[in-house]
Amino acid sequence: MRWRLTLAVVLVVVAAPAFAQPAFDQLRLIAPAAPGGGWDQTARVMQQVLLRTAIARTVPVENVPGAAGTIGLARFVSAERGNREVVMVSGLIMLAAIVTHQSPVTLHDVTPIARITGEYEVIVVPSASPFRSLQEFIQAFKAHPESISWGGGSAGGTDQILAGLVSDAVGVAPTRVNYIAFSGGGEAMSAILGGQVSVGINGLAEFQAQIEARTVRVLGISSAERLPGLDAPTLREQGVDVELENWRSVVAPPGISPDDREHVTKAIEAMVRLPEWRAALERYRWLDRYLAGAAFERFVTAEEVRVRGILSKLGLNGATTTIVSASAYPAFVLAGLFATGLAAVLTMWTRTRREPADNDRSRWQPVAVLAAGVILDLAFIESLGFVLASAALFWFTARAFDSRRPVRDALFAIGVSVSSYLLFARALQLQLPAGLLAGWF
Amino acid sequence: METLDALAGGFANALMPAHLGWALAGTTLGTAVGVLPGIGPALTVALLLPVTFSLDPISAFIMFGGIYYGAMYGGSTTSILLNSPGETASIATAIDGHAMARQGRGTAALTTAAIGSFVAGTLATLALTFCAPALAAVALRFGPAEYFALTVLAFTTVSVLLGTSVVRGLFSLFLGLALGLVGIDQLTGNARFSFGIPQLLDGIDVVILVIGLFAVGETIFQAWRHGRDDTSAVALHDFTGMNREEWRRSWKPWLRGTAIGFPLGVLPCGGPVIPTFLSYMVERRLSDTPEQFGHGAIEGVAGPEAANNAAAAGVLVPLLTLGLPSSATAAVLLTAFQQYGLQPGPLLFSARPDLVWTLIASLYVGNVMLLVLNLPLAGLWARVMLVPKPLLFGGILVLASLGAYSLNASMLDLGLLYVVGAIACAMRVYDVPLVPAVLGLILGPLSEQHFRRAMAISEGNPLVFVTHGISAAFLLLAVAVLLGPFLFNRWRTAGPVTTLDREPEPQRE
Repeated sequence: MRWRLTLAVVLVVVAAPAFAQPAFDQLRLIAPAAPGGGWDQTARVMQQVLLRTAIARTVPVENVPGAAGTIGLARFVSAERGNREVVMVSGLIMLAAIVTHQSPVTLHDVTPIARITGEYEVIVVPSASPFRSLQEFIQAFKAHPESISWGGGSAGGTDQILAGLVSDAVGVAPTRVNYIAFSGGGEAMSAILGGQVSVGINGLAEFQAQIEARTVRVLGISSAERLPGLDAPTLREQGVDVELENWRSVVAPPGISPDDREHVTKAIEAMVRLPEWRAALERYRWLDRYLAGAAFERFVTAEEVRVRGILSKLGLNGATTTIVSASAYPAFVLAGLFATGLAAVLTMWTRTRREPADNDRSRWQPVAVLAAGVILDLAFIESLGFVLASAALFWFTARAFDSRRPVRDALFAIGVSVSSYLLFARALQLQLPAGLLAGWF
Repeated sequence: METLDALAGGFANALMPAHLGWALAGTTLGTAVGVLPGIGPALTVALLLPVTFSLDPISAFIMFGGIYYGAMYGGSTTSILLNSPGETASIATAIDGHAMARQGRGTAALTTAAIGSFVAGTLATLALTFCAPALAAVALRFGPAEYFALTVLAFTTVSVLLGTSVVRGLFSLFLGLALGLVGIDQLTGNARFSFGIPQLLDGIDVVILVIGLFAVGETIFQAWRHGRDDTSAVALHDFTGMNREEWRRSWKPWLRGTAIGFPLGVLPCGGPVIPTFLSYMVERRLSDTPEQFGHGAIEGVAGPEAANNAAAAGVLVPLLTLGLPSSATAAVLLTAFQQYGLQPGPLLFSARPDLVWTLIASLYVGNVMLLVLNLPLAGLWARVMLVPKPLLFGGILVLASLGAYSLNASMLDLGLLYVVGAIACAMRVYDVPLVPAVLGLILGPLSEQHFRRAMAISEGNPLVFVTHGISAAFLLLAVAVLLGPFLFNRWRTAGPVTTLDREPEPQRE
């Protein structure tokens, strides 16, 4: 606790202007993604703004990556129920992932707070592309749908949703979209800039620098109206009736009281009104799309219907048709594993027949002691906490190596686990279970 | 000339005493955190990012440079001394580095790694300074067909790493490929082999596999051996640095590693794995004594260590010139840049030259700091080998479990870590090499995805791999690497050839 306080005091002294009583002693932010992505960025910007303006005294960010946010969502719903000091970042991509991964937990299971930011999508071609306008592109697409490759981010994400919506709007079955999913923004962008695909879809922010440098040409932007200061026609004004934004929102755990919900909503609302937040939006090129309360709930419901519809038209909640079968490679790998495994076992079998077997049971003792330590670690790391479980793991491991000095080992065990806990969980804010000793440090 | 002036301005900033202090703090922190298994460069930079929030942009950028290079360097120490590479960049280093450490030449291995990193980092930063835009343009000509061909070339390195038995080596490779199948198919979004467990949807984390196979596997294997041969030979330790012979054998691998690492770092393809292993393969092929590889050949440490640091500088090329993050670390750096209102992209060099050139200058400074920091420490670190085994392995397991758990705060990962460790121990008992499994897990999915992307773009025409010049060249090179020694030997001796990978490459320098 003292550690945490010291850290908070340092941050407050360094960065915060004098401010009224903080609304939260602690407000934990969960980014259901790995460091570097949009949700992580959102959480880290919120962290900065909330700290600098002292809306909350401490603001740890936790990353719970996996399966486009659905892992984080499932954990949030089960582990944080009723907790009034934690919120999670979510958004359109999570909504889509819930459909494609058939997640049993949905956004209906959390307490909605507010939509905070949005980013429009752009359809671009490299400046050397033969497509001068959206019309030319749509014509070519209608003539030979499969010959047009659409490059964008991961399957089932905002980029593919837009490809599906556009195709649907111009009267081509979305299943005929030859969508090439790239993992991560970098890969998709290099394929688009390098002209490896016919056309690219990505967030406006990712492409803004390229648009300004005129290395790419915007065929259309997914906003309702032209954005000020950006020379890009909308899809709608060119006769393709599609609007889409990659919105991001904040949700609270299920089971919190209406008062608590009000309290969190107020804090978020206070945050989005701050000049620090505005400056951050500017820096990251996010749009202020603050929407809270019942209006936000209606918005999510409408989006869910639309996303579900287009994903099923794209065939993303069932089997998809791709030109190269998705099952040939796994079959090859499994056959290879089986064949080489069999061959390895056969050669080993002939070898061990020549050598005497090693059956002395007592020699397994070190491994058995080690295994005991591992089992204790697995059993108790979450209930008793990292420090105690790791100390046990250390001590048993030391015993396995035939130590006749149990007391020395125990001292080292406690020293190593306490110091690594302090360093990683306290100083670096990694996520380690505190367990029984939660109040001690 | 303009570049030089701008760079001089950057240096003027970077060399102010306060800024040197930040550079030192950055490299120290980066190295210290990067040393720990599981905490790779991406996580290190993400963890240390908040530390820089309260600094002015220039100090913060100088610190980034230090943290970034420090984190890239940190991993080699544990690989060499404990056979516990914490991330993929230092697996290749572990093979011969740890063998050297066991023979008491740990200090020499650490020294060649430190100097190699310095040489590679400096040369690569020079290349970054002067030809970043041109290189980025070349990188854009790489599409799925080219990347597929590159992974095929990388797979040929496996032939070098198969170990004593081809069958067992291939088994290990297929084990890795099979593990790589688990998770969402990137191209369709459908789950494969995830057995309904949501945590498996993103596949098996490479970091878990690496820590499990090496750090945990080593601990269990040592415990297993402990019960068997009690007279474990204690190597004679020699804490002096590199001798004349080792210098002579190191300098060419440093340069070749740089030449391989930098251009491949520019490409977004699997991070540092491909450059480090290609460098390892090249060194073994060019060596007069390829039989020493795997048993403490210093070239096998010098080359890959240079390659991974050069690749780290290469990553900055597409990031700074195009705003393209080509690795997880780059994505985190991109966030850091945006923190200061810096939007990497084609206009960055003209929009904020002060910050860019300070960053580049601080990379040079960070490199020097790393060398200054690590050369004297090499002998000290190497004394880790003197820590009593019970305490050493206890510490390794605690840190391995910490790294694995904190990755996703997931019990499944922790359980998987120990299961992989047990499998690794069994593999070592039966003399199955570990490295092909890691390469399979990393390269398998990359290779499959790029193949299918290329086929989808070409509407199912397989000729795409040979009609693209770069792709065809890589494939030819792969064939040459596999068959070259075989054919050459047959031509020279006109006799039968016994093993493929034991033959030295004919063209020596």
